[in-house]
Amino acid sequence: MNTIDRGLVELRNIDMIFGSGQSRVQAVDDVTLNVQPGEFVSLVGPSGCGKSSLLGILAGFTKATSGNATLDGVSIKKPGSERGVVFQQYSLLPWLTVRKNVEFGLKMKGVSRPERESTARNLLKLAGLSAFENHFPDQLSGGMKQRIGIVRALATNPEVLLMDEPFGALDTQTRAVMQEILTDMWQQFRTSVFFITHDIEESVFLSDRIYVMTARPGRIKAEIKVPLPRPRTAEMTRTPEFTELVHELKGLIRGESLAAMQSELVAH
Amino acid sequence: MTMPASSSIGASALTPIDRIVVRRDASEASETPRNSVLHQLTGRAKHYGIPTLLAIASIGALLAFWYLGTKYKLDFYIRFKNVPTPHEVLLQAIEVASAGTFYVNIVKSVQRILTGFALATALGVGLGLLIGKYKRVHELFMPAFEVLRPIPAIAWVPMSIMLWPNNEASIVFITFIGAFFPILLNTIHGVHGIDRVLLNAGRCLGASELQLFAFIILPGVMPSVFTGLTVGMGVAWVSLIAAEMISGQFGVGYFTWEAYSLVNYPAIVLGMLTIGVLGLACSGAIRLVGRLVMPWLAFVNGGRK
Repeated sequence: MNTIDRGLVELRNIDMIFGSGQSRVQAVDDVTLNVQPGEFVSLVGPSGCGKSSLLGILAGFTKATSGNATLDGVSIKKPGSERGVVFQQYSLLPWLTVRKNVEFGLKMKGVSRPERESTARNLLKLAGLSAFENHFPDQLSGGMKQRIGIVRALATNPEVLLMDEPFGALDTQTRAVMQEILTDMWQQFRTSVFFITHDIEESVFLSDRIYVMTARPGRIKAEIKVPLPRPRTAEMTRTPEFTELVHELKGLIRGESLAAMQSELVAH
Repeated sequence: MTMPASSSIGASALTPIDRIVVRRDASEASETPRNSVLHQLTGRAKHYGIPTLLAIASIGALLAFWYLGTKYKLDFYIRFKNVPTPHEVLLQAIEVASAGTFYVNIVKSVQRILTGFALATALGVGLGLLIGKYKRVHELFMPAFEVLRPIPAIAWVPMSIMLWPNNEASIVFITFIGAFFPILLNTIHGVHGIDRVLLNAGRCLGASELQLFAFIILPGVMPSVFTGLTVGMGVAWVSLIAAEMISGQFGVGYFTWEAYSLVNYPAIVLGMLTIGVLGLACSGAIRLVGRLVMPWLAFVNGGRK
């Protein structure tokens, strides 16, 4: 399960342009970033700055207008199970039980049923979800569904986990707990993670490194290392180092959010 | 709820908060069993008793209206003068039950319904999936279907008699037409209604286009298909009875119309009741199959709909 030696994600000189002529919109402008093997990297920025577009490129849903996206040096062309994706919306298949959802990727690969079942059971056990293996997703709370979403993405043993504001739809309390669960799980699996969020505290708590994006067109404004030790605990959010980093990032973002609103006002 | 055994790397990394959450989620997710026997009994009475009582009251009221209307020969714009009493219909039923032809009528109608409905299901679901999935197939088939769809199945009766070599085939065809469009349209609607994020999730988990079709689109479309089947079955019965009345030999529709021609009023009501019971049985069967095929639907939006 150790993936320290693989999972190098690179975006180089990415441009994203939608439409043409009058309605031409440059969403992303010359973005270069990377996730080192086994690293947890967050991307924060105001809404509409193209964060999700970048994740879409890495997932293989959309193509960049120019520039290239690679995983371990191999160019990304379409979705694949070596890149696990956790969506903001609940994306479990409602007609499958929790365990069958976790098995789904392995089934697509043609892994035999006994092997699938034991892999899924082990993962669910690690995530403390064994009791729910035969439940349907609609029987579970939002936080549970997202945890299973993460477990499902990990089941195919991906090289990188791409997470698109996975806790965005959860209430504040559940979200805080989910962050702890995620950091614990990451501590076990050490998969590379590319994590998109607009929640600054969340990004500082979880990440090794944070990229800050500007308002549209989205550019990388800053790259910040998070020197907090691992494993992370909830107590760390009360240390001066943590609050200082959060303040610094908030300062960077505030200007961008204002700029984003300004440009919206101008456009209307 | 016990925590994972400690042989793996996982157990040590789970925080106390994690444990609390797991437990809280557990109580949220599964209904807490009530221990008191009394509670269980009143619960069961609420669950089964009251609906049963109301069902008896509902059918009882219908029978009472019928009984009183025919007993006192009510005449207030609608006329009960010629309407047979429940007793007369019961006698008719006993008489008919001893003769074999009535069963032949029932068997014939059921055969026709099942044949027409099976064909409509196969073609409606099959085409519906393709039309829903592929834009070009949609563009090719839908213009023709849009022209044919507003024509009620009954309007096909004369054409059907000309078109098909025998009576049997033409009646099955009319039944098919009745069931086909609801099934087709609901299937198409179902394909379009599948959440994009589920398809994207499938792709990210390595599903090929064929696997997406088999493991996401097909199960995802099932609730809509069953809506189509339920509606389709209703329309199929309407179409079948009309076809049998006009061009049939045998069948419950034929039986009912023949009774009218022969001025056998109790038989008319018997025919109607038979149609009602058969229709009810058919839609009940579809609902039952639906529940077996889609057990998960019981939990959507927090409970059985």
